[in-house]
Amino acid sequence: MADRPLTIFDMFGPVMIGPSSSHTAGIARIAFLARSIFDGEISAAKATFYGSLARTWKGHGSDKALVAGLLGIYPDDERLGFSLEIARRMNLNVEIISEYRMPGRYHPNTVVIELSGGGRTLRVRGASVGGGSVLLQSINGFDADLTGELDAVLVLHHDEIGVLAGVTAALAGHGVNIACAASHRREKGDEALLVVEVDDHVPSAAIAAVERIRGVISAVHVPARSC
Amino acid sequence: MNTRFSSAAELLALVAESGLHLPAFMLERDSFLTGKSVAETHEELFRRMAITRQSLQRGLSERQSSFSGMTGGNAILASASADPPVRDGFFNKAVAYSLAVNEVSACGGKVVAFPTGGSCGIVPGVLWAWHDERETGEPFRSDRMAEAFLCASAVGIVIATKATLSGAAGGCQAECGAASAMAAGALSWLMRRDAGSVFNAAALALKNSLGLACDPVAGLVEVPCVKRNAFMAVAAITAASLDAAGIRSYIPFDEVVEAMRSIGESMPSSLRESAEGGLAMTPTGKTCADRVR
Ligand code: SF4
Repeated sequence: MADRPLTIFDMFGPVMIGPSSSHTAGIARIAFLARSIFDGEISAAKATFYGSLARTWKGHGSDKALVAGLLGIYPDDERLGFSLEIARRMNLNVEIISEYRMPGRYHPNTVVIELSGGGRTLRVRGASVGGGSVLLQSINGFDADLTGELDAVLVLHHDEIGVLAGVTAALAGHGVNIACAASHRREKGDEALLVVEVDDHVPSAAIAAVERIRGVISAVHVPARSC
Repeated sequence: MNTRFSSAAELLALVAESGLHLPAFMLERDSFLTGKSVAETHEELFRRMAITRQSLQRGLSERQSSFSGMTGGNAILASASADPPVRDGFFNKAVAYSLAVNEVSACGGKVVAFPTGGSCGIVPGVLWAWHDERETGEPFRSDRMAEAFLCASAVGIVIATKATLSGAAGGCQAECGAASAMAAGALSWLMRRDAGSVFNAAALALKNSLGLACDPVAGLVEVPCVKRNAFMAVAAITAASLDAAGIRSYIPFDEVVEAMRSIGESMPSSLRESAEGGLAMTPTGKTCADRVR
């Protein structure tokens, strides 16, 4: 994925609210991805900033960026600067923790986001890898490498034969072309997470079709970055 | 369409093969890679150019102030300077504009990273200063200005492909250094419309930044970043001046980028955005860090 040829707008972009493409825009995008994956009303959120983010999040407004992303505000939207007030008005409580010690395998710009609401929880670990580009490296304990550059479909399923073929067929049946697919297992248990990046818009009927496949627990559409 | 290149030499060969000029080739290539039409890609380019222009106007008209208090108000001072040592509109505007755009970024305003947030004032600062002094016509619809922004991007893509554009990976040579090379190349295009000159000017500028540390105070993209945007704008102008005079970089662009990559790799991590060395560790820098943490 990192190997794709770079375009003009990889240089001349992202359009962003400053100051830092990695500590502001990138964090907003990670939070936005988390919100898309959670796919429901968030009642409480906790974010842990690691390493250099732990030291600089106040000055770089990473907290505002994070809350903006959780509220569905894009990294180029000037409401980002007022996200804390907006969250307060909406009674969304976001706890922020600074963790100066860094687990060895973490990227230097790492944030862990935990969301809860409607009886569900989500825990993602995201890395802001530079220039506003991001990588979700862990989703509810599954290793992943989701960039958000393309539309994606995340499928939680039992580790059974035939799920991948079923998902491929269901998406193809709705005219959705697969760019790449990777399956991730947790250390224990029989569940697996299939991350499918696609080239086309994903209609909600395609997600419904995926959810009907035997062995599939849930499926969610994560739209691509929009700036 | 063959879109892959990993050096300026390869890019220039593809451009020659295409029969297009460099910025037109970049536009076609982008359209090919993204599946969007050339017209749509051009529109998006104009949209982003307009945003840089808005950040610039905001930075010159509103007093900015950052969370840390380290940044703000200098673009206004620069643009109102009563008796600057250099009496040239283009030069003075480039200094004020690049400061203005980067102050807006540092203060949480809307900008376009180019290539990064910390270096986002350099290319627009130089190019809009040139436009306002030397070009006629509507800035947001100027094909010549669009070509210049495309050439800057072409230089950036080669650096990113061969090395890095991240201060954390390669020091500030990779951010503000790269941006000054991009601005130099773009300015050279406006003067000479020659793809070889773009990379000659870029090589001259990039050599000047090799080894530049990234040591931001308190880890914030403010000191030395904001003022460095002004210095790098001037470096870009100097490089384009040398290029316009027919002066060649002894080391070709691709080799300069390779040198930048290897210098970045041998830089200690204390000088790669970690705020553990250089200006960040000065008494004043440490006091600031304690205050904003
Ligand atoms: S000093 Fe570091 S943070 Fe500042 S602009 Fe340069 S690379 Fe970016």
